[in-house]
Amino acid sequence: MYLAWKEIKHEKLRYGLIIGMILLISYLVYILSGLAFGLAQQNTEAIDSWGAQSVILDKDANTSLQQSMLTKSQTDKMTLTKKESYVGQSAIVAKEAKHAKVSAQFIGLDWDQFIGQKLVLTSGHKPTQANQIVVDDGFKTSNYQLGDKIQFNSNTETYTIVGFTHNAKIDIAPVVYGDLSTWQTLKKLPDTFVASGIISQNAKYQPGVDQLKNYSVAAFINKLPGYSAQNMTFTFMIAFLMIISLVVIAVFLYILTIQKIPNYAVLRAQGVPAKVLVSNTINQALLLVFGGLALGVGLTALTAAALPAGVPIAFNWPILGGVTIGILLTGVIGALIPVKLILKVDPVSVIA
Amino acid sequence: MENKNTIEMHHIDKTFGHDTSKIQVLKDIEFTAQRGEMSLVIGPSGSGKSTFLTIAGGLQTPTAGDVRVEDTPLTAIPVKQRDALRLNKIGFILQAYNLVPFLTVREQFRFVDRIKGATHMTEDELMTLLADLGIQDLITKYPNELSGGQTQRVAIARALYPNPEIVLADEPTAALDSERVTVVGQLLHDLAKKHNKSIIVVTHDMRLKQYADHIYEILDGSMRQAS
Ligand SMILES: Nc1ncnc2c1ncn2[C@@H]1O[C@H](COP(=O)(O)OP(=O)(O)OP(=O)(O)O)[C@@H](O)[C@H]1O
Ligand SMILES: [Mg+2]
Repeated sequence: MYLAWKEIKHEKLRYGLIIGMILLISYLVYILSGLAFGLAQQNTEAIDSWGAQSVILDKDANTSLQQSMLTKSQTDKMTLTKKESYVGQSAIVAKEAKHAKVSAQFIGLDWDQFIGQKLVLTSGHKPTQANQIVVDDGFKTSNYQLGDKIQFNSNTETYTIVGFTHNAKIDIAPVVYGDLSTWQTLKKLPDTFVASGIISQNAKYQPGVDQLKNYSVAAFINKLPGYSAQNMTFTFMIAFLMIISLVVIAVFLYILTIQKIPNYAVLRAQGVPAKVLVSNTINQALLLVFGGLALGVGLTALTAAALPAGVPIAFNWPILGGVTIGILLTGVIGALIPVKLILKVDPVSVIA
Repeated sequence: MENKNTIEMHHIDKTFGHDTSKIQVLKDIEFTAQRGEMSLVIGPSGSGKSTFLTIAGGLQTPTAGDVRVEDTPLTAIPVKQRDALRLNKIGFILQAYNLVPFLTVREQFRFVDRIKGATHMTEDELMTLLADLGIQDLITKYPNELSGGQTQRVAIARALYPNPEIVLADEPTAALDSERVTVVGQLLHDLAKKHNKSIIVVTHDMRLKQYADHIYEILDGSMRQAS
């Protein structure tokens, strides 16, 4: 460690640049994976917040809540427990005279069932009448407030915002929670249609109706429009970014070690064991990579705090941990690729 | 009785290259160094002096022949043990000085403490040595801030600091003026006489002749005792 540290201190510019490069690379990887994960989360935030284990849909609806429809004759044959909740989903455009239009997802609920019961509000109260709604905090970025009266699509009925809730997004759009009867109105459906589907906290809930099927939440989420395609794109993007970054870091540390060989030859001539030089190389690589990573994490935290609320960024600790360990490991590997040269360094080469 | 010989070399051959580009640098060298004595090896440039010295200290292996350092056969022991021997017994003053560029003069010594431990000079002894060599004011400087002669003197001090039994010096006075040559010559002589060390100096600097007990000459790869 002594040598490693002295060397860094003596050549501040060179080592500063390397730390700076590791900082930038880790910053890039952290921020991009944070943004990708944040966006992915917006597909499923609402579903995650319900604690759903399974989703009951029409088996011919291609696993899509929006395409599914439950009829009264079907639901009459089922018994719902406290762990099941009807939902009626409809894509809408919310508008209000003073504010910008918002593309949103309407979720109609029976407010006596678990989703309505367990919904956590950040302000306001839950609806007590059919024309009252609770909306995602995302509406606040367009300056919507409690008490605003909103129209949906081209309908003339108005609905009053009585509450806000946090982290309620589905299909990357903010959610409007309202009454199931409003869902029927939006879809222009007769009373014989009850809901789009049933969300259950019981993974094994069986509807007992031939036409309906229980889907696991994972299967359901994978079928969300664009979700798996989007995730695959991001996964590959970040994987390529990681691989290239790791190679770049490894190459830099390789060059760094190569440049040290003449100094190492001097030390070998003095009888310094090769072991000391190898551990010095590893220590120094770790020191540089740790330094760069720590600064990268700091910069990422600052950036995340400074980003406007509308930008989705979320950190998945297992992924970040993997990224961090990956960078540390490749740093050491890069520094150690020339270890054979260190071990074989010929003291005579510096004697002249 | 204890063996007074520190280094023994028998039938040493050294060739470089292969086939047509093959050159024989050393031919059948016989050499012995003893405790309490200073030997001088002289010869023209390119005659194989540095090659001889590095073989004597185990930095390179001879093509043929046998080298023993304090009765240990250098060619027969593993690299690790040879490193240890070099670290613990031998002080090399190399022709290219070989200071670590990112350590100050002071730290060059401190680093030796760290890996070697016990036997090095006391702080007082070191300060006296630095003062004798006229480099006591340079201890906070980095090698690139030193003149050639200053660097050479630091390299001498660095080699002597661990109190080696054997000192192998390659042109230790090449960059020094007459006054400093006297100091270094006397210093090496005293090490042999007062501290019972074995000193081998390779040089073409005839000013060092007066301090030596034995003088050898390398010519065309062969060594003979000179007058
Ligand atoms: N690694 C090597 N490969 C090939 N030839 C070498 C090698 N090392 C030394 N030589 C050759 O061996 C000969 C002796 O070299 P050496 O360095 O021992 O000379 P020297 O007597 O120390 O010279 P100087 O007084 O200039 O330092 C030279 O001709 C040199 O070119
Ligand atoms: Mg030479």
